[in-house]
Amino acid sequence: MADRDNVETLVVLQPISVDTASSDHAGMLVMANGLLVAILVRLDAPEHARSGTWFMEVGLGRLAGVRAPVFDTLEDATRWVRRRFRGKALGGDRLDAEG
Amino acid sequence: MQDALVRKLESFEELTDADREALRALIPRVRQVRPRTDLIREGDVPDNVHLILSGYACRYKVLPDGQRQIMAIFVPGDFCDLNVFILDQMDHNIGTISACQVVEISRRAIEEITANHPQVTRALMWCALVDEAVLREWLVNIGSRQADQRIAHLFCELLLRLEAVGHVTDNSYAFPFTQTDVADAMGLSDVHVNRTLRELRRLELITLKGRVLTILNVEHLKTYCGFNPNYLHLRNARWSSRRQVPWLSGVQGE
Repeated sequence: MADRDNVETLVVLQPISVDTASSDHAGMLVMANGLLVAILVRLDAPEHARSGTWFMEVGLGRLAGVRAPVFDTLEDATRWVRRRFRGKALGGDRLDAEG
Repeated sequence: MQDALVRKLESFEELTDADREALRALIPRVRQVRPRTDLIREGDVPDNVHLILSGYACRYKVLPDGQRQIMAIFVPGDFCDLNVFILDQMDHNIGTISACQVVEISRRAIEEITANHPQVTRALMWCALVDEAVLREWLVNIGSRQADQRIAHLFCELLLRLEAVGHVTDNSYAFPFTQTDVADAMGLSDVHVNRTLRELRRLELITLKGRVLTILNVEHLKTYCGFNPNYLHLRNARWSSRRQVPWLSGVQGE
């Protein structure tokens, strides 16, 4: 049982175009252990303070309603998702481990 | 200073000479407060009632993860905490957004005056009831309107509230709020606020330049967000007959 806490969440990104009612279109589906948990969108519109960064447009499941920071890189975003899942894993539900 | 208070309360309720005399006998302390400064913090024992004479302030809470929620915005003429002094301990914070001129009236002074002057009490109740109505509308706003309508609604509300105290010129008013302030008040992300402001500009409903917000087409903006000003109770006969004379004009240095 204790070993389970050491199992990292497998986070996979898949490119997707997203309608954000703005000129930000480039997005990524974020899958954690095979389940869609978020959609990231790259902030390309000129009005954004930090152009080229990644914003969690939508969170699903345990990421629903979470106000995530804006990420400089996709690696930062992936790390953040893993950490969120690891933190929550100590509670009841285990979505990030087999069995 | 006391005149400002008298005029504010008279906008809600007829006062007698004795009422006015009692209000003028109050010796409020006027403080110049810097921007982004707390007037009172969660956990503090509330001693004074705060009245904003100039500038903008807000009521807010901070969640354990650092997320801030703004529950109310105060403009000149607003009491920040009319009734909280009855409580033992503050359950939220009140802080300035811009530099503010703030009047502090002691809890004891308020208690004495309300014990002896029923009209003053009624006027204070009016203020508190309108604040509550605004809070209800914010609940509706955050719970049921889309991001762009939410922000448009806030802009319409501020226009009417500031107009009532003479702080609007040509549908323009001071807007010292940051993107994050708006996001924290409306339950949105900075990114959504940013996109919404761009959209409202594109639709030629507003401009935002040099910390001044201009509403280019008030009727269109109201229609856009389904704004109904009834909750501000500005149509009240007692209020509307007096609101032509901005009660703050005498004390405003701006």
